[in-house]
Amino acid sequence: MNKRMSTILTHIAIADGKIKRSSLEVLSHCKQLADQDGHSVEAVVVDTNASSFVEGIQKYGASKVYIVEDPIFKNHMNTPLLKALVKVTESANPSVFAFASTESTKDILGALAANQNAAVLPDVSSFELMDGGVKAKRPVMAAKIISNTEAKGDTVLVSVRSGSYDLAENETTAEVANVDFSMDDSELKATLKEIISASGDTIDLNEAESIVAAGRGVKDEEGQKLISELAEVLNAGIGASRALTEAGIYDPSLQIGQTGKVVSPQLYIAVGISGAIQHVAGMANSKVIVAINKDPDAPIFEIADYGIVGDLYKVLPPFIEEIKKIKN
Amino acid sequence: MKFYVCIKMVPDVNAPLQIKDGKLIQDADRQILNAYDASAVEEALVLKEKHGGEVEVVSIGTSKASETIRKALAMGADKATHIVTEGNGDYDSGSYARILARFFENKEYDVLSLGKQSQDTDAGLTGSMVAEMLNLPYATNAVGLEAEEGKLIVKRQGDTGQEMIELPTPCAVTCSNDMNEPRIPNLKGIMASKRKPMEQVELSSLGLNEDDLTASTTVLGYEEKPEREAGKKFEGEADEIAREVAQLLDTEANVI
Repeated sequence: MNKRMSTILTHIAIADGKIKRSSLEVLSHCKQLADQDGHSVEAVVVDTNASSFVEGIQKYGASKVYIVEDPIFKNHMNTPLLKALVKVTESANPSVFAFASTESTKDILGALAANQNAAVLPDVSSFELMDGGVKAKRPVMAAKIISNTEAKGDTVLVSVRSGSYDLAENETTAEVANVDFSMDDSELKATLKEIISASGDTIDLNEAESIVAAGRGVKDEEGQKLISELAEVLNAGIGASRALTEAGIYDPSLQIGQTGKVVSPQLYIAVGISGAIQHVAGMANSKVIVAINKDPDAPIFEIADYGIVGDLYKVLPPFIEEIKKIKN
Repeated sequence: MKFYVCIKMVPDVNAPLQIKDGKLIQDADRQILNAYDASAVEEALVLKEKHGGEVEVVSIGTSKASETIRKALAMGADKATHIVTEGNGDYDSGSYARILARFFENKEYDVLSLGKQSQDTDAGLTGSMVAEMLNLPYATNAVGLEAEEGKLIVKRQGDTGQEMIELPTPCAVTCSNDMNEPRIPNLKGIMASKRKPMEQVELSSLGLNEDDLTASTTVLGYEEKPEREAGKKFEGEADEIAREVAQLLDTEANVI
């Protein structure tokens, strides 16, 4: 596709009335790719209040923003989102359509690819353009190794793990394209009954700069209190290993690992987590990893930048106190 | 309710692996039932036990995949279809989805269930691809299922919370391994599995040839992950090392 001028389209996800940072990371990368080869970079935002995000999007270099605005987008549902994205794909005719990888994206990516007969590379850690398609690196086998994969086709869909690219502002003035959208109840194949255990005021792990993650070593309320205190002084999100979400101690949406969320914050503090491969698959790309564990042979120490061998109940209180001092 | 559960034989990600000249080599050729698919089988069995019905498993793979299918039958599935392929190295999610969509085109069922992803590639595409090809209502990443007359109630793990979704049947759903602990087949189940029907279907009898299944994605090769070096390990008096690391996070790592 380097041979002709084409469009790279980026999906901008909204959460709690804000643009997701991971979407802007993808947009920043797409802008850079587009500039290299003389392509244009455009964006699409699907939300109840989509037009209010144009300003935030054009700051990152999108030359055109497709707006799909409808009350139906208040909560994630796959049928309306898919319909909106099909419509935008057909009018933008992008050579690449890039997404931040989230549960909402994962819900529709395959369906959109099937609908548009497009090639698709999910959950990549990096991607580049090549003649006639896209080349990407994908962590596979529980993220133990990287697969170099290429996709060929007129349109290639790509979803990118959060934290894969840095933000790069590139102010421009975007053309705004309002997309007509309406949906009958009869088209709505599924019904969303309710949202339970929405994490409310907790910090979105995909967006968090710092994460404090609790594992099996956090045995009781005293331990959970220490986790919360540490998270509070660092303004960090709280995550958990599968052991603790399964035990019902932490909300399932906080699970980090191959099955749960894949995160890559600036700072990841693993507390009482041994470091099973399924957990490591979800956090190994964090910039700085701190591990606190009383077992000196715990595998988490093999990937930790700073390993503290010790009982978390003895380590955390002075650790929290010292960070408080630094912060003041 | 009639359940079809799509299952796949996958390499065991816990087995040691190495990369030679860009190729992936696993010392022990351990092939297992994909963990997410095992959860899908388990949940279908639970709903069948509660409401009655039938659970049929479907798998695409080489002749070796029959071992995996036998395991699902030993867990309690009633019957199986094995869509036999010569090799399966070059198929991508789109290829598998096209085979499944063709297979299910004229079938009658209430729920088409799949694991949410394969544990080797973690792509997670096939479920929603098949649903779209068959124009079925669907939900992905289910952590709980309930059946009602003409409906499947799915508890789905979304980005910030759990969503309760009501799907009219027939529908498709992809399952997380967080919804249950798949049962381990007992001796009685294993014995019974040998008498259960397993039908073999050739791609040609589905009217498909290799050209229809050409993948749009190709794995060029594998490489080691950029090695993450173990950093400094601090042992000793808890109070002392805790404060030391906190200081280093500020002055050295510059992250607080």
